[in-house]
Amino acid sequence: MVSKEEIMKIAILSKLFVADDEIDKLTKDMGEIISFADTINNAADEGVEFDNINNLSNAFREDEVVPSYDREKILKNAKDQDDGCFLVKNIMK
Amino acid sequence: MSESKIMQLHESLVKKEFSCRELTEKYIAAIEKDNSTLNAYVTVTPETALGTADKVDAKISAGEEISLLEGIPMTLKDNISTDGIRTTCCSKILEDYTPIYDATVWKILKAQNSVLLGKTNMDEFAMGSSCENSYFGGAKNPHNVGHVAGGSSGGVASAVGGNIAVYGLGSDTGGSIRQPASFCGIVGMKPTYGAVSRFGLIAYASSLDQIGPITTNVEDTAIVYDAISQYDPMDSTSQGRKGAAVCDTLKNDIKGMKIGIAREYLEGIREDVRIAVENAISVYQSLGAEIVYFNMPSLKYALPVYYIIACAEASSNLGRYDGIRYGFKAENYRDVNDMVKKTRSTGFGEEVKRRILLGTYVLSSGYYDAYYKKAQNLRGTIVQAFKKAFQACDVILAPTVPMTAFENGHAVSDPVETYLTDICTVPVNICGLPGVSVPCGFDAKGMPIGMQLIGDSFCEAKILNAAWQYEKTANQFRASDFGAKL
Repeated sequence: MVSKEEIMKIAILSKLFVADDEIDKLTKDMGEIISFADTINNAADEGVEFDNINNLSNAFREDEVVPSYDREKILKNAKDQDDGCFLVKNIMK
Repeated sequence: MSESKIMQLHESLVKKEFSCRELTEKYIAAIEKDNSTLNAYVTVTPETALGTADKVDAKISAGEEISLLEGIPMTLKDNISTDGIRTTCCSKILEDYTPIYDATVWKILKAQNSVLLGKTNMDEFAMGSSCENSYFGGAKNPHNVGHVAGGSSGGVASAVGGNIAVYGLGSDTGGSIRQPASFCGIVGMKPTYGAVSRFGLIAYASSLDQIGPITTNVEDTAIVYDAISQYDPMDSTSQGRKGAAVCDTLKNDIKGMKIGIAREYLEGIREDVRIAVENAISVYQSLGAEIVYFNMPSLKYALPVYYIIACAEASSNLGRYDGIRYGFKAENYRDVNDMVKKTRSTGFGEEVKRRILLGTYVLSSGYYDAYYKKAQNLRGTIVQAFKKAFQACDVILAPTVPMTAFENGHAVSDPVETYLTDICTVPVNICGLPGVSVPCGFDAKGMPIGMQLIGDSFCEAKILNAAWQYEKTANQFRASDFGAKL
């Protein structure tokens, strides 16, 4: 079973707030989902390693300079910007 | 006359029975009439559509040849990026996001003057089986609007089933093309992983996601698949279609084709669905196919394996939504960390947050080996089980969903129960295989039942050939009361 404390810890890792009135229902839902996920631990481990689908290998290419997107266009979707940059509150004090 | 709707419309355009503008106007009018009921579209683009239609008409007037998809009115699921057209993933967090580039699939279709009618509804970030996790409310089933269209590509299925688009592209991570196609009584294919470029598809679970067509008939699926299955250097997992166009072999005889039935797929499904699939088996026998039965015990782990892997990948992919570069941004915050947390907590819906939390949990220190690593090993076991199965048969026949479309509001109450509805569709994604859902009957209330044909990697031609032969013999498509009348 998963505890409220564990849910709070995972929420911090996920950068999500869990409100006080949400925690009981969320702990219950997550408990059910995790015990459902737990059923895989009934399976015998046949030691089959999974690497990737359809034998894909790394896709390499020459490192060539190609045109990129216009800075102004990229910034159009940002809520706050300044002088061609994304704007955030200062991170270091 | 051809069963292919795309082919029929193409011929009418070429013969000038009607212009592309007239055709497009009919669909725009049908959207205006029916979308308030079906809630299939979240963004409608009539100017773009008519602009393209005029280009096609000019080409036809000038006596130029047009391709099959040229001038055909269609739609895209709202997680496929469209340059200059809002793409929301049906999430508050991307409500006002407008991409500055096209997804490769749309680039291909746009180059062929495909008439984009608009962007269609989906479960938020493609997470759900009813479309009801959409920030804009769920899409409705054109066979009975008291039922859901299915999910996550519910909007595309509702639009195509309701004939307010000729065809559409959806995405399928655990059944999101096949399940709504089944619920709406139409055809939907999830191609082999890597056959269709994912560039510009807003990611949910990158090792499972794949874009594919949703159409009213098998030939249209083949036509659209042939067009979009191209190698793309912008997607490092892209391989493109292998072999000839699937349309070349679509109508081949299937005498002697080996159709496999894994018994596990028929366990625990609703009686009427099982009977419909058994009737399809008889149709195949009458067509001279050989039916091969076998067991695949590892299938019972497919669903938890899917949810562990999908959520793990989602928790990483959705880390990018921080309010800084695009999308919704919370107001009133203390510092950057507080802003990111408030943005994500307000911007994401309940199901998305649950899946991020589950994904973070299975990847976190102390749980990684028990969940994520174990799930990846079992993924290997399931891949091998399918490899073995395809030594004994050409295609596997299974139900698409263990039931028919749920009534509105039914899916939201119990998350685990809702996850169980994906039991027949997830194995295909886990193994990167192609799967197509084809209508195969109706339940007592008149809601469609779908069956699924699964092939080995890059064997789309085989499953579509088998699907086309079934459809030709026992077509179970029924037009709804909605949409454009041509």
